[in-house]
Amino acid sequence: MTTRHDTAASPVKGGAAPGRPPGGRGAAEADRKRAKLSRRWQRDIRWSPYAFVSPFFLLFVAFGLFPLIYTGWASLHTVELTAPTDMKWTGLDNYTRIFDDDFFWNAAKNTLWIGIISTVPQLLMAMGLAHILNYKLRASTFYRVVMLAPYATSIAAASLVFVLLFGRDYGMINWVLDLVGLDKIDWQNGSWASKFAVSSIVIWRWTGYNALIYLAAMQAIPQDLYESAALDGASRWRQFIHVTLPSLRPTILFTVVVSTIGASQVFGEPLLFDANKGASGGSQHQFQTLGLYLYEQGWVNQHLGRASAIAWAMFLILIVIGILNAVISRRLRASS
Amino acid sequence: MRAARRGSARRVVVMAAIASLGAGLLAGCADDGKDEDSSSSGDSSGKTTITLGLFGTMGFKEAGLYEEYEKLNPDINIEENVTERNENYYPALVNHLTTNSGLQDVQAIEVGNIAEVVATQADKFEDMSKAEGVKKDNWLDWKWQQATTKDGATIGLGTDIGPMAICYRKDLFEKAGLPTDRDEVSKLWAGDWSKFIEAGEKYKKGAGKDTYFMDSPGGLINAILSSEEEKFYDSSGKVIYKTNPEVKKAFDLTAEAAEKGLVQSQTQFQPAWDQTISNSLFATVACPPWMLGTIKAKSQPDSAGKWDVAQAPKSGNWGGTFLGVPKSGKHVKEAQKLVTWLTAPEQQAKLFSKMGSFPSAPAAYKLPQVTGGKNDMTGDAPIGELFAKAAEQIPTQVIGPKDQIIQQGLTDNGVILVTQGKSPKDAWDNAVKTIDNNLEK
Amino acid sequence: MTTTMTKPPADAAPDPSRKGRGRRGSKSSRAGGHLHAGPIAYIILALFTIGSLFPLVWTAIAASRDNQRLAQTPPPFWFGGNLFDKLEIAWNDANLGEAFLNTTIVAGISAFTIVFLSTIAGFAFAKLRFRGRNALMLIVIGTMMVPPQLSIIPLYMMVAKLDWSDQLQAVILPSLVNAFGVFFMRQYLLQALPDEIIEAARVDGASSWRVVWHVVFPAARPAMAVLGMLMFVQSWNDFLWPFLVLTQNGSPTVQVALAGLGRGYTPDQSLIMAGALLGTLPLLLVFAIFGKQIVGGIMQGAVKG
Repeated sequence: MTTRHDTAASPVKGGAAPGRPPGGRGAAEADRKRAKLSRRWQRDIRWSPYAFVSPFFLLFVAFGLFPLIYTGWASLHTVELTAPTDMKWTGLDNYTRIFDDDFFWNAAKNTLWIGIISTVPQLLMAMGLAHILNYKLRASTFYRVVMLAPYATSIAAASLVFVLLFGRDYGMINWVLDLVGLDKIDWQNGSWASKFAVSSIVIWRWTGYNALIYLAAMQAIPQDLYESAALDGASRWRQFIHVTLPSLRPTILFTVVVSTIGASQVFGEPLLFDANKGASGGSQHQFQTLGLYLYEQGWVNQHLGRASAIAWAMFLILIVIGILNAVISRRLRASS
Repeated sequence: MRAARRGSARRVVVMAAIASLGAGLLAGCADDGKDEDSSSSGDSSGKTTITLGLFGTMGFKEAGLYEEYEKLNPDINIEENVTERNENYYPALVNHLTTNSGLQDVQAIEVGNIAEVVATQADKFEDMSKAEGVKKDNWLDWKWQQATTKDGATIGLGTDIGPMAICYRKDLFEKAGLPTDRDEVSKLWAGDWSKFIEAGEKYKKGAGKDTYFMDSPGGLINAILSSEEEKFYDSSGKVIYKTNPEVKKAFDLTAEAAEKGLVQSQTQFQPAWDQTISNSLFATVACPPWMLGTIKAKSQPDSAGKWDVAQAPKSGNWGGTFLGVPKSGKHVKEAQKLVTWLTAPEQQAKLFSKMGSFPSAPAAYKLPQVTGGKNDMTGDAPIGELFAKAAEQIPTQVIGPKDQIIQQGLTDNGVILVTQGKSPKDAWDNAVKTIDNNLEK
Repeated sequence: MTTTMTKPPADAAPDPSRKGRGRRGSKSSRAGGHLHAGPIAYIILALFTIGSLFPLVWTAIAASRDNQRLAQTPPPFWFGGNLFDKLEIAWNDANLGEAFLNTTIVAGISAFTIVFLSTIAGFAFAKLRFRGRNALMLIVIGTMMVPPQLSIIPLYMMVAKLDWSDQLQAVILPSLVNAFGVFFMRQYLLQALPDEIIEAARVDGASSWRVVWHVVFPAARPAMAVLGMLMFVQSWNDFLWPFLVLTQNGSPTVQVALAGLGRGYTPDQSLIMAGALLGTLPLLLVFAIFGKQIVGGIMQGAVKG
């Protein structure tokens, strides 16, 4: 985590509370009051951060912890959805079997590719859009509404539209390809074609979402920075590179982290692109992501124990990626 | 100092506001809960409300059956909770059953799930065979057995079934030089699915490349498998799909049809498959009565009357539902009474005439609503009688908890691949690998 | 980060006048706001608008047709005559009036609470020094990495024990555990809230709560609006969990109410589409309202008021 300017220096080094000196009262009383105030002040400085973060953790303990412990425990057992309290201990079996589970690694590979194909263009486009929307625009509220329309569209509606658009025989995209003299593509059955199609649904749904996040962050960049850059004769592009991007660093980090986590869990889009009743992600699992595989094992096949182990394995993989990322970026920073 | 004090005062106010918001929220919800409680256990007029949890295919309300029952029983009020897709409905039902919470007074169970519910959740349901006025003989025996445990408890009463016939396009058959009369067509392939494939080859010779003989490989393999007495499980409950020669035969036959280009490369109920109905691209489809409803909904108006119904080479069942009464319900007795009434032959016959759900009670087959049954797509073909004939030949099939997963694998991860140019062997291997992985606990 | 922030006056800050700040804000306006968009920007936006809205418009077209027409090729590209009939049927069939009310309560309370809690927690993580801060932040991020599809099952076991079936708090309370919001606010405030302002407020003797109220909230307003919108939508469209705990004749949310629409052996696609459209429109309305909130320039007057 890059935290450049973390903390506000405490103004109370000396322990004296600021404020106007009390007039017309005894010095002793004033000192006592000041001391009391100072104690209160210090208590405030010391404990208020905990007070601020505690609601999250209290809620997490109340509603997040049990599911976490349960899935952790279930991952060490054979458990079925039809009897979630009836557990048979299997130790680490559910984990070790993952090593030779071709479907898991296939899904991991698909997740990686779909993650890359969808996340990179999505974030770049979102940045560009946010930049445009940050200009003075006519009807700017309209565009902000438009931006979130895909995210607001229900899965039912989106799936019907996209399955029709990507139809092999009658789909509009193939119709256009045909028109310009290209071969039709079997979007659902091709290995790469289906990954592109699924990624395009992800991109469609989430680009506006990220653009909005960038836009909010751009709004917080002080005007003065641009003004002084403009005075130095910087072009719009240079302003973007030298003012906007550096200022957005924390937010970019945020979107990258969240998108990475999100990409690891993608399951709605491949599920809706998959017309099967199950969740196999295509007849040869060509677009089954880890999230979808997890869903298939847990909800369709009803193997809670296995699904829990997959969930924890995904969690561990993410942590490893996070640590690697931290180490690499530290190295890079140290060497530069 | 003033600032600090005011700050802390404000903090108190804010805290109080949050606390009261939270409390109000909880209180509000508790009120909601109470309201629901009172409305579901009887309103001011002292009526008892029975709730039904159903999925897509039922249509009791649309057929006017609730209204009729409420008239017969003025102290009863019926409400239903319908989920369009069983894929959403069933996992939620399982969650509700395992926690004994959130269940309705009556819950529907699809035939694809009934074996699993019987095997794992039977203790949560009332034994309907002991309910007042329930006569086992009212139902087709296999239908009754499907919902009955080894110990003889029947956890749900059958509503509809899906006796399978072959619906075919008379105009396309004629163009291809095949007979169009339904008895002659039935004779083409009577008793043997491989004769059905032969008829397909004849069709292809006559019809050329514009249309296919059948709608999808999934439809074909499903039809063949449904007509077997044993498919994926043996009677002791062991999974035998890999070794059962009938399953392999069904797979190979379907793969053969795919290789010969007799079936479209489509998955049933996908939009693209819908479009092939609309464009009249295939001549036959394995067809329970409800399939006629699908055909009607997806066809262009000028296809009306062009379809007819022939007997399948061997009869089988596709679809159907049961109604069960969870023990934890608030009105078990009343719910049992309602279920008994809804599944009685008279009501099943009414449901067929209004909604096309075919009765599982043979006594209904003699009732005028069934004998006089017609459908726009099949003109004046007496579909009630035709499907009744199919229904009476349905074998008692051994069903198992994971039938759906196995069939899904054979279809969507199996034979469909042959239509995409894979060899039957590769397709079978892919299917087996998928199924085994999905079955492994 | 270089900031040329006006120091607050020596006097303890009186309640800042919101109106004054707003006017100031909109005048000196957004960062980069002195630049007008060129024609290329409008062309890009037009393409983007078409791409984004197409499925939604097509949903309306589908809702205006019938099942038979939808199965035909090519699919319809323009409206048929049934739109309002279908909308009316969908509205009545799914009993959407009550569902809207429930969903507004659920989505409103959870979005509001998430925004509030995330802002104070994000502020603490971004700007306050306390022991265990980094470790706690990593835990917050860690909770996001747990795939949600699975937690639903044990969570339902809890809710069943609490006997919360069919009660709205069963949907609201679990949704408040929201690491995304905390992380989002932390990152935003790292950038948007200069330390100098907090220092200045501290020098004036403001307590932490007062800093939150008068410094953090104003500075965070655009991000709060964005987070509120995102969370409102998320809660509005959530299906798997509400579907498990709520029933249609109890207190359904919109998505639960819509789940029964178009039922039959052959689902009525155009009715389903009409329902989907009705479920989406209120969201667009909410965006239109909140969209204005993100017109920024709020920092300039943050403390001064």
